[in-house]
Amino acid sequence: MNGNNFEQLKKEYMDIPIPEELDFVVKKALQDSNIYSKKKRKQYYKSGITAASMAAALMAFTLLINTSPVFAETLSAVPIVKNLVKVLTFREYTVKEDTYNAEIKAPSIDGLNNKTLENTLNDKYIEENKKLYEEFLADMESLKENNGGQLGIKSGYVVKTDTDTILSIGRYVVNTVGSSSTIFKYDTIDKKNEVLITLPSLFKDESYVDIISENIKKQMVEQHKANNKKFYWVSGIDQKTSIKPFEKILKGQNFYINAENKLVISFDKYEVAPGYMGIVEFTIPTEIISNILVSTEYIK
Amino acid sequence: MKKDSLVKQIADYVIIHKESYYRLAYSYVKNVDDALDVVQDSIYKALSSVDSLKDPSHIKTWFYRIVINTSLDLLRKQKKVVSVDEETLISCHIKVVDKYADIDLHNALESLPENCRSIIILRYFEDMKLEEIAEVLNENISTVKSRLYKSLEVLQIKMEA
Repeated sequence: MNGNNFEQLKKEYMDIPIPEELDFVVKKALQDSNIYSKKKRKQYYKSGITAASMAAALMAFTLLINTSPVFAETLSAVPIVKNLVKVLTFREYTVKEDTYNAEIKAPSIDGLNNKTLENTLNDKYIEENKKLYEEFLADMESLKENNGGQLGIKSGYVVKTDTDTILSIGRYVVNTVGSSSTIFKYDTIDKKNEVLITLPSLFKDESYVDIISENIKKQMVEQHKANNKKFYWVSGIDQKTSIKPFEKILKGQNFYINAENKLVISFDKYEVAPGYMGIVEFTIPTEIISNILVSTEYIK
Repeated sequence: MKKDSLVKQIADYVIIHKESYYRLAYSYVKNVDDALDVVQDSIYKALSSVDSLKDPSHIKTWFYRIVINTSLDLLRKQKKVVSVDEETLISCHIKVVDKYADIDLHNALESLPENCRSIIILRYFEDMKLEEIAEVLNENISTVKSRLYKSLEVLQIKMEA
């Protein structure tokens, strides 16, 4: 083999142009991962402690409330009790084998008086995670038969908002087979009335779909103008690919309500933007939806 | 605590070597967007499976391996890759060696099976040692060596043909 040939080839290889987005992509990925791994790990840890102490505390509370009316009265003045609806880690599945990694955590809601709602949600979470776990095991077996490979799954949850009225829980699944995909699902609960809030239930009619979609499209284009590395598949931004541009949100689009009482619409990876954008969220200005809101209880 | 510092080490490493990783990804997927996707996904994978990194001194090879696997997975997903049976892969024998008389080295390299091409790229473009390549590809050294020589042989045949 001629050495010069290799030099030439190496030069070609080293001349592969580096796109300017690379820096942004790397930094964003590192940032995202910090949120996904480090911070959350700490949260789980904390919630583990809370779970144990809460259980003990709850028992004591129940006893005291039942036995002492005076205590019950003083309690209502203590802010913590208003916030008794909590999210705890209920069940964990873990698999740890050389190249196979599963870390599945199911959230569990506790403290709602509306037990039907509490149980429905908790059963759903357990069901979801059980399914994930079983799918993972099946994938792992089939990979093992085919000479092995890497397989990872991580699921867990984040409490997006926890105020006096609102509890928004996001469950995520990060699939690290092939190109990693992340899926987020949210549930938002009205803690006072103890009902599950759905997107359609917030609005008087279905006009919200168009109003919100238009706003999101506008935000996408503005973000792109301000920083051309932020790219969305939407008309108004030059598209290099033939991917169908974003038209409108689903009636039951993923959403949550943030601590500032604003509606946040969330899209999974690849839903409206290239993979490097990850999960994208849009905060909807309340002004544009105030006319069609059923009430301003949740969204202000 | 130990894990946190490891995560930081990995992050630093990735930032410094991002261009090498990008090139490597690009050499597989041949497209800017996909290569960026691979880099990003590799970072996610790496940081979510820090536990699989047993020895911090292996960050380099460990991360290369993730990039290569992610690239291959992406190709597999896109079904651009025609699957090749184990035997063909191992022997690195190319079907129609002397059909194209004027093939240049670049095309010859492209026509090598992936795992042979990886070896050439890592050895000659990334200047890795054979031991490191073996680690990246999760093979033993003698396999890597024999594949390397066979690949060189094939390339030579192609160049001279």
